[in-house]
Amino acid sequence: MQRMIGKRAISSLISLFGLIVLVFFLSRLTGDPSALFLPVDASEEMRQNFRELHGLNDPVLVQFGHYLGDLVRGDFGDSLRKARPALDVVLEAFVWTLQLAVITMTLVTVAAIVVGSVAAFKVGTKFDRVASLLSLIGASAPDFWIAIVAIVLFSVNLGWVPTSGTGSVWHWILPIAVLFIRPFGLILQVVRGSMLTALGSPYVKTARAKGVKNRPIIFVHTLRNAMLPVITVIGDQAAALLNGAVVVETIFGFPGVGKLMIDSILQRDFNVILAAIMVTALAIFLMNLLIDLAYALLDPRIRT
Amino acid sequence: MKPRYALAGLLLATTTAGAALAQDSEVTIVLGEELDLVEPCMSTRSNIGRVILQNISETLTELDVRGDGGVQPRLAESWEETEDGTWRFHLREGVTFSDGSSFDAEDVKHSFERTQSDQNTCEISRYYEGIDMQFEVVDDLTLDITADPAQPIMPLLMTLLTIVPSETPMEFVREPVGTGPYVLSAWNPGQDIRLELRDDYWGETPEVTAATYVFRSDEAVRAAMVETGEADIAPSISVIEADDEALDHAYPNSETTYLRLDHSVAPMDDARVREALNLAIDREAFLGTILPEGAEIATAIVPPTTIGWNPDIEPWAFDPERATELLEEAEADGVPVDTQIRLIGRTGNFPGATEVYEAIAAMLTDVGFNIDLQMVEVAEHEQYYSKPFVTDGPVIVGAQHDNSRGDPVFSMFFKYDSEGRQSGISDEKVDDLIDRATAASGDERTALWSELFAYLHDEVIADGLLFHMVGFARVAEDIDFTPTIATNSQLQLAEIGLN
Amino acid sequence: MSATTAETTPAKPTPPAKRGYLGMLWADKFATFAAIFLIIVVFCALFGPLLLGDAASGQNLRARNAAPFTLERGFLYILGGDALGRPLLPRIVVAAQNTIMVAAGAVAASFLIGATLGLIAGYSRKILSEVIMRLADVIMSFPSLLLAVIVLYILEPSVGNLIIVLAITRIPIYLRTTRAEVLEVRERMFVQAAQVMGASTFRIVFRHILPVILPTLVTIATLDFAFVMLAESALSFLGIGIQPPEITWGLMVSQGRQYLTSAWWLAFWPGLVIILTTMSLNLLSSWMRVALDPTQRWRLEIGGKNA
Repeated sequence: MQRMIGKRAISSLISLFGLIVLVFFLSRLTGDPSALFLPVDASEEMRQNFRELHGLNDPVLVQFGHYLGDLVRGDFGDSLRKARPALDVVLEAFVWTLQLAVITMTLVTVAAIVVGSVAAFKVGTKFDRVASLLSLIGASAPDFWIAIVAIVLFSVNLGWVPTSGTGSVWHWILPIAVLFIRPFGLILQVVRGSMLTALGSPYVKTARAKGVKNRPIIFVHTLRNAMLPVITVIGDQAAALLNGAVVVETIFGFPGVGKLMIDSILQRDFNVILAAIMVTALAIFLMNLLIDLAYALLDPRIRT
Repeated sequence: MKPRYALAGLLLATTTAGAALAQDSEVTIVLGEELDLVEPCMSTRSNIGRVILQNISETLTELDVRGDGGVQPRLAESWEETEDGTWRFHLREGVTFSDGSSFDAEDVKHSFERTQSDQNTCEISRYYEGIDMQFEVVDDLTLDITADPAQPIMPLLMTLLTIVPSETPMEFVREPVGTGPYVLSAWNPGQDIRLELRDDYWGETPEVTAATYVFRSDEAVRAAMVETGEADIAPSISVIEADDEALDHAYPNSETTYLRLDHSVAPMDDARVREALNLAIDREAFLGTILPEGAEIATAIVPPTTIGWNPDIEPWAFDPERATELLEEAEADGVPVDTQIRLIGRTGNFPGATEVYEAIAAMLTDVGFNIDLQMVEVAEHEQYYSKPFVTDGPVIVGAQHDNSRGDPVFSMFFKYDSEGRQSGISDEKVDDLIDRATAASGDERTALWSELFAYLHDEVIADGLLFHMVGFARVAEDIDFTPTIATNSQLQLAEIGLN
Repeated sequence: MSATTAETTPAKPTPPAKRGYLGMLWADKFATFAAIFLIIVVFCALFGPLLLGDAASGQNLRARNAAPFTLERGFLYILGGDALGRPLLPRIVVAAQNTIMVAAGAVAASFLIGATLGLIAGYSRKILSEVIMRLADVIMSFPSLLLAVIVLYILEPSVGNLIIVLAITRIPIYLRTTRAEVLEVRERMFVQAAQVMGASTFRIVFRHILPVILPTLVTIATLDFAFVMLAESALSFLGIGIQPPEITWGLMVSQGRQYLTSAWWLAFWPGLVIILTTMSLNLLSSWMRVALDPTQRWRLEIGGKNA
């Protein structure tokens, strides 16, 4: 197990480096930040000064060299827009994103597994139909649409919760509710599908044929065997949330890392983009490691 | 200020917004764009200026945007032009910065030099570009500013220079120190910024004791926040949301939209084609439909409150038949009228931008232009808008220009001089008029600007001017605040009253 | 029809491939509806721009935000008009083409590439597998919207580029799912038996493994169809993505969002069509899952009684 973790750490570092290279050069292809930081009628001299100050006049490869050199010393560079360390900016935002992701995914996982497996057991019944249909409708509606309708309905008309922002427990309800809908629908479908497959597999049939009437036992065993694809999808959804929920953050004014990344690419704030990518990538690598560990725990044959 | 939550008790105890509302002399202002910096020398950038201009950082002079009083004293009590090119400013006595140090002429000098430093990228310096300015401290409270070339509008230029203490480093600061009535008391990036009243302000004590700024990029959310009582003022909401007469105020926001034409590329090099373009657009049809009713059809790139704005210029009538005729005439003379022309619009430039450009593209196509509409994001737009221009084929750039500073000088060079970065024309008479108007003062200045506007509109047909835009502010019922033409770029808390 | 199915099937166990599929489809009323709806959508995507292209782009500011459910302005305005007075019904029909092209293109590409790589990664267990998985890690940890924004800033936001961007971002989910399933299935008795009997790797993968994991992949693909349409619409919300005058359903929802409180129909109809399309795909896929699975097929063969 330790060897596996070590191997994964090394391969993750390789992936991370690949990611840095990719983002560094791709983002610099999107344009010159001086055009965005300075007003349109700023002179060429001001632009030149801006580029000089931020080392943007060097050849890209030299810039990359400088960047890696600083990075090795733990310096992620300064934000062009905010004139302070990029890592600080990112970590501030990431704390919010992490909380949002953990809370949402916990709720989603529990709800989807419970509802999904019950639906699979009662396949074809009203419960199954309604659960599938509702989750599907929810998962198919654009989230910005749901978010705005939710604000109009629950904040403006009913006055139950605040429209947006941070500050109290109540501020979290709408963003989490909106974020909940899509992964819930997706994971529920996969749980149901996977459970159906597992229920149709020989060992469950054998157990049923042998007259094991104890539903909980069947339930637990089936679930255990149905979990592998489910965990994969949960991982995928959690990764998406760790990368920030751009739309929800934008509408609810939630200071997460998703909005930060999109704003930074709009403003060509390269150091912030890179720092954000590295922080979220690290979080996702860690999570993938946990997922692989979970695979190994669920299915001893996979252990290597 | 009646919180409408069913869970009001709990909420008031737990939310900052709720808590702020509980005390009557505090306001919450919801803005569309977050501040990256709270740096005084960047306060000409509107999102920064809205928070700090005249609230934290003050200027020597300020422009009267509520009446027509022109340039008014602020940190300077009076000024005069002592000799050609030199202005003497008499500074206010007994003013202190929020760090306790007292305000004197050295501070003004340092503030200016700081904007010119190459160790930062202060935005204010662009307004002093091409002017050689010398600041000479006569005594603590007297300052001579000499400019070459001479600046007849020096007092107006001083409305832009935010004053910082002489100890301020050249690099950007995160804790701005100013002479204004408020200090920055909290800054939680991504969440809010809070200003609080200081007790040793030199002027009259404002009614508002503290202001919290929060940021929501969605207009519907901003409007909803005032409606629910979570915010008191939303200075900018879209016309679609502005449906509550009791709360919503329309105001000219000093923005002017126009189609910039590059006269060096065919077929835009032909005056008939440019006239056809102007005649093809049914400007009236936009008002009260896609754009708010209060928007005005533009005949100049600066709003009507600017000096020299020419009331005699007739806006282009909508005449599609004549436009088609003109195009046919030009085509008969060999002008490549059927060349595909790219119309570049900027996504989200103003509320309804996409619809406006879609409609304009359809109108131009109707009279015989071959238009390819492309909506682009800000950086790509900038590539089309500023020199060096894209050269592969004719391009029309839809753009919006903001001048709330009262004088066309802040616009005309950039937009119309042969060397202006966004200028699509190269006309000797225009260059000459700009030069002369810039150097002139008083009535002569006004007359020259007026002449220039008429010449550009009627004879050069420089561009396709569209609209002077209006913005909408939503203000809670118990707040007394009227937005002005400058609300886009500054929002003085001292001007907010509480009912 | 369902009655005949019920009567004939037990008596004469013909292979369902010959006669049964339509009958089985009819037996599931939801699936029938879904199939019909999807046929309409595909028809719109193929011929919509041809038939209604002009009607969809004709502006009329007097019919701006015209209310739905009135024939005052003619049948084309039955769903109302948009902010420029263009009738919504023909716009939705015309927008089907771009929308389906983007969604189908992206899902098909990511499905094929992802599943293939996943099979290789799951079956080879060598360096190749490692390389593939790390590649998936790189893509997965690259926020999909950010990747989309960066690429669309470099390239221009055309339908083709959008397909590429969305396909890249969706590959890992197929890849990881396939690999996970392969890891599980290859240990099962029948696969090991096939291996012992000397079946070729190719045969094992395509005859034994693929059929078992396909239902899960199809389930994901149908939901991904929704995801891709919504991602496209989120890009429009952020002001990137397909730009006017081109139209997609996602763009229509995003443009209509600002009128949600004053003219709900602008965002509602295209949103409804997105929901109906993805739901139809899903209903059809769950029908297919049952119809293709020999152990489940009886549910449909005994007719609509159970459904």
